[in-house]
Amino acid sequence: MLRWLAKRIIAAALVVFVVTSLVFVVTHVFTDPATVSLPLEASQEDRASRRAALGLDRPLSVQYWDFLSGLVVGDLGESFFQTQPASKLVFERLPATLRLVAGATAVTVLMGAPMGMLAAWWERRFADHAVLGFSMASISAPPFWIGYLLIIVIAAQLRWVPTFGSSGFKSLILPSFAIGLASAGRLAQMTRRGIVEELRKPYAVTAMSRGFSRSYTIVHHTFRNVASGFVTMTGWEVTRMFTGYTVVIEVVFSWPGVGRLAVDAIFDRDLILVQAAVVVLATMVVLTNLLVDIARRLIDPRVDLA
Amino acid sequence: MSATGGDGRTERLLEVKDLTVGFPTRDGTVLGVDGLTLNVGSHERLGVVGESGSGKSVMGLAILGMVLPPGRIMGGSVRWKGENVLDEAVANRVRGREIAMIFQDPMVSLNPLKTVGAQLRELLQRRVGLQGRAIKQRSLELLDMVGIANPGDRLKSYAFELSGGMRQRVMIATALACDPTLLIADEPTTGLDVTIQDQILTLLHNLSTELGVSVLMITHDLGVVAQFCDRVQVMYAGRIVERAPIAQMFADPQHPYSGGLLRSVPRVDRAATELAGIPGEPLDRAQFPPGCAFEPRCGEAHDTCRGAPPPLVKIAERRWVACYNRPGEAGETST
Repeated sequence: MLRWLAKRIIAAALVVFVVTSLVFVVTHVFTDPATVSLPLEASQEDRASRRAALGLDRPLSVQYWDFLSGLVVGDLGESFFQTQPASKLVFERLPATLRLVAGATAVTVLMGAPMGMLAAWWERRFADHAVLGFSMASISAPPFWIGYLLIIVIAAQLRWVPTFGSSGFKSLILPSFAIGLASAGRLAQMTRRGIVEELRKPYAVTAMSRGFSRSYTIVHHTFRNVASGFVTMTGWEVTRMFTGYTVVIEVVFSWPGVGRLAVDAIFDRDLILVQAAVVVLATMVVLTNLLVDIARRLIDPRVDLA
Repeated sequence: MSATGGDGRTERLLEVKDLTVGFPTRDGTVLGVDGLTLNVGSHERLGVVGESGSGKSVMGLAILGMVLPPGRIMGGSVRWKGENVLDEAVANRVRGREIAMIFQDPMVSLNPLKTVGAQLRELLQRRVGLQGRAIKQRSLELLDMVGIANPGDRLKSYAFELSGGMRQRVMIATALACDPTLLIADEPTTGLDVTIQDQILTLLHNLSTELGVSVLMITHDLGVVAQFCDRVQVMYAGRIVERAPIAQMFADPQHPYSGGLLRSVPRVDRAATELAGIPGEPLDRAQFPPGCAFEPRCGEAHDTCRGAPPPLVKIAERRWVACYNRPGEAGETST
């Protein structure tokens, strides 16, 4: 187990290295931070002097080595627009994004799992149809629209929670639901299908033929077999939160997270800062996948030990 | 008719009468089991033999009152020591404790994420009511009984860590956990090596003798029947077409289908050239002929056969056959 864990961690670090290198290639080979920061009609001289100022006139290999050695100590360069270390700006914002992802994941799991279980328990009955209807609706609605709706109805009209910002737990509720509802809908459907399928499998039929009730068989036999898929799917949802949903929802709710920082940096033509945000978010994705791997290994002894 | 051997030693345990299981399809309801009648006595080993799609596996679960959706039991009765198993309360008591089933593929019939010990423990705890040390003791005893070496280590194993033969032994151990009186074995040796097949059959045979457990052996393999059973019923298209003691069935099959089955089995004492198949294909269950289901493939069919399905009639002591060409003794019918 420890050997396996060490291998997984090394593999994850390797993925982070490859992903960040790709980010570097995009931001330094296809274009460069100096060019992006200047207007399109800027003269060659302007570009050359800006490149020299940012050290972009040095050989690419030197710049790459700088980038990598910086990465190791957490230095992601200087934000051109805000003239502050990019890593400082990103890490200041990271806790807010992590809070949001945690809240949205809580909504996803705490709604998705029970709904899927209810639907499977009362297969083809009212609860099943109700869950299906809810998940179809939540999956079809774009998160920014759900967020907008929640702001209008619950925050502005009913005034139960603040309309924007991140002041305390209350302000976390709406954006978490805005992101989590669709994920919960997908997870509920997956859970329901998983349990229903497992119940038809020979081992479940065998359990019932030994006199165990359907409910006992669902709880004691199918849950664990569904858990692995459940964890994997939750991991995908969390991944999508880091790379997409939080970006949109942080803008809608004026949430001071990494996603909004990245959007602002794009409008400011601040490529170094964008790059820093991408590197950090990608690292979060890799960490999520690592956690999923570990969880699956704990659930299912058959998961590859290699 | 006497329950089984007629030697007075046996009592009738399982009585299945006119059991019918239907599956809704686009073309109407297909009968997986059609008016099945069978009896199993104590200390008896009954074989039910038929080709794929003859309704054998559906039958095994239906006897326990279980049908996978969307199928359902449409008629007939299943009685265990006189009690109605199709009543859910009775079924809950009988399942596992009185009648236990062994399935074809032990790889998928054991829970992949529970250790052997955990699967035995839940049965012993919840279905037998053992506690504490007694559970472990009984688990070791059960594994030892089915011929598993180092039972202590094996308790910690998962199904995927065991060989096919071992898995089936574990399966048998879980079936025996609650001291059942009848084992229903659904193709228990299919998919195993020939040598392992033989070991499993021998094990089942010895266990049934030592523990006094009756066995209902569901199989497509006449060799298994010959080696294992006292009595055999041949099933075709969800119906019993012939019922006979084992020696008589092999010496003198009465139904044309039974005869065909026997001739299609390779035997070491006959030249390979004598091996004969049965012409035609097994029936598409959605297209039942109105008469005898075997009529389209039968060499002896005539007009009467296309009218209505022939009833199962007694043609001699302990011999029953459903064929218009084998008229039975008056008044002795059992569909």
